[in-house]
Amino acid sequence: MKGPLAKTVILLVGMYVFLKFILPLFTAPLPASLIFLYLALTLASAMIFYTMSGGSLDEFMGPIGRFLTGTGQTGIAGTARILVFVLFPLLVGWQTYTRLAPSDMPPAENRTIHPAPPGEFVGLANPYERTQDNIMMGKGLYAAFCSPCHGANFDGKGPAAVGFNPPPANFGDPGTIAQLQESYLFWRIKKGGVGLPVEAMPWKSAMPRWEVELPDEWIWKIIMGEYDGAGQSPRTWEEEE
Amino acid sequence: MGYKKNCYVALGLILVVTGVGASCVFASDPPPEGGAESVAVRLHLTDDAISADDPNAPVWDTIQPAEFKLAPQVHWPDRIQEVTVKSVKVRGMHNGRDMAILLEYADPTEDAADAAAIEFMVGDKMAHFAHGQEMLQVEGGAVNIWYWKKEHGKATDMSAKGFKTIRAQENQNVSATGAWQAGTWRVVFSRPLQTGDEHDVQITPGEWRNLAFAFWDGEIVDGAVREQGSQKAVSSWWYVRAEPPPDNSMYGYVVLGIALAAGFEFFLLRRIRRGNES
Ligand code: HEC
Repeated sequence: MKGPLAKTVILLVGMYVFLKFILPLFTAPLPASLIFLYLALTLASAMIFYTMSGGSLDEFMGPIGRFLTGTGQTGIAGTARILVFVLFPLLVGWQTYTRLAPSDMPPAENRTIHPAPPGEFVGLANPYERTQDNIMMGKGLYAAFCSPCHGANFDGKGPAAVGFNPPPANFGDPGTIAQLQESYLFWRIKKGGVGLPVEAMPWKSAMPRWEVELPDEWIWKIIMGEYDGAGQSPRTWEEEE
Repeated sequence: MGYKKNCYVALGLILVVTGVGASCVFASDPPPEGGAESVAVRLHLTDDAISADDPNAPVWDTIQPAEFKLAPQVHWPDRIQEVTVKSVKVRGMHNGRDMAILLEYADPTEDAADAAAIEFMVGDKMAHFAHGQEMLQVEGGAVNIWYWKKEHGKATDMSAKGFKTIRAQENQNVSATGAWQAGTWRVVFSRPLQTGDEHDVQITPGEWRNLAFAFWDGEIVDGAVREQGSQKAVSSWWYVRAEPPPDNSMYGYVVLGIALAAGFEFFLLRRIRRGNES
């Protein structure tokens, strides 16, 4: 098993194991489509590599050609060859079936979680000073108005959270407010779910439109209390550059 | 070995790898987002008449329910922080003409003001789950609400487009019957799939529609009804679909696919053999 083909197969299996099982130990698991793309790229590179490095496509393809034509084959290899010839059309048939069979799954939803804010909400600074009093007031308002959904611990696990899809944001998650500027939060809190653009599916969001109930001053202080309570800090202008 | 032959082998290899890869991709990408157990209600296709007025008809027990969690309505005033109904089991069926949806949920007491509702988006415009309230960047549509209340003993077919716009429709197409037993309500709603009324949701087998739920515990506590008006248990949007009749035309395509693949193998082999000879 020293031919270029065998090496490539080993490389592909290794890549697959790495992408599918080892990488997820460190980061979020890759979607299957991405893993497939990486493997396809690896295969293409291997083929180009062998042809470029003089080895010729022949050397790479030779074993496959011999396998398919059955040249000098006996025993297991022969059976395997027949199996491949039978399995390939069945696979195509199965593919056709799964594509055409009526799906029981609702339409896939690609909801944009952080769409661009309207222009008037870009670059606003919190007009209130980060004093202990202001933070405390913000936390109090948060407990009264936001915690039923976003949770007393800022983790998105409030008593009302379970009924809603999408679920209320978990502010401790580095993917929410830590990525955002205060100005962006001001927009989201003021205008709520109904203020989102079409790609964020406003019709599904339970986030209230707080401008009809809370004055701006409270919203700015809630933002302070929210960052402080969740142990996050807002993304600033400098980082944006 | 000829160069041409290798090109064919390479082509074949790429096709096979793509096929296998694609099947993996479509088999294992995650289902759509959703925190609850279910994301959709399926209206099972049956040949029989739809049991529209008996929530305890035995046929319901042959259907696997979808289950949805509910939240106290804390989205807009007047809010409520705690509600009685925490989740609902939903079963559905249709026979190509009529449909029925059965809601089953726990409520310890039977009260005159107990009520349940199913909300649908109407037509192609998206509507916010909270009574089709105004959206700021998207032109929204209206919602159709089927409302049942114990003391009314029937359903009311309603429309809304925005808070405080809810009203009963001129054409009443929905019926409902409830039965309470040992702490469980079973309420069955029924209607023709199509009504020809532009204010109603129209259900076409095979097409996905959006629905949401609401429940009120009408128990009297200290002289007042516990849950009424906007103080209720709610869900946001989920999906519903009437099961389409079986379609056998696809088996023709499956056979065609198999034949094409076998033909491809045959020509690939012939090419390789010819390449070997030259
Ligand atoms: C009825 C439940 C509910 C209440 C009450 C509520 N929210 Fe939300 N909130 C949501 C949901 C659901 C989302 C996720 C969907 C969305 O982005 O609109 C969300 C999203 C957000 C986001 C966006 C986070 C991100 O990563 O984009 C912010 C900020 C936020 N809420 C702040 C607040 C504040 C502050 C309050 C209190 C003044 C509050 N919410 C009250 C349900 C709620």
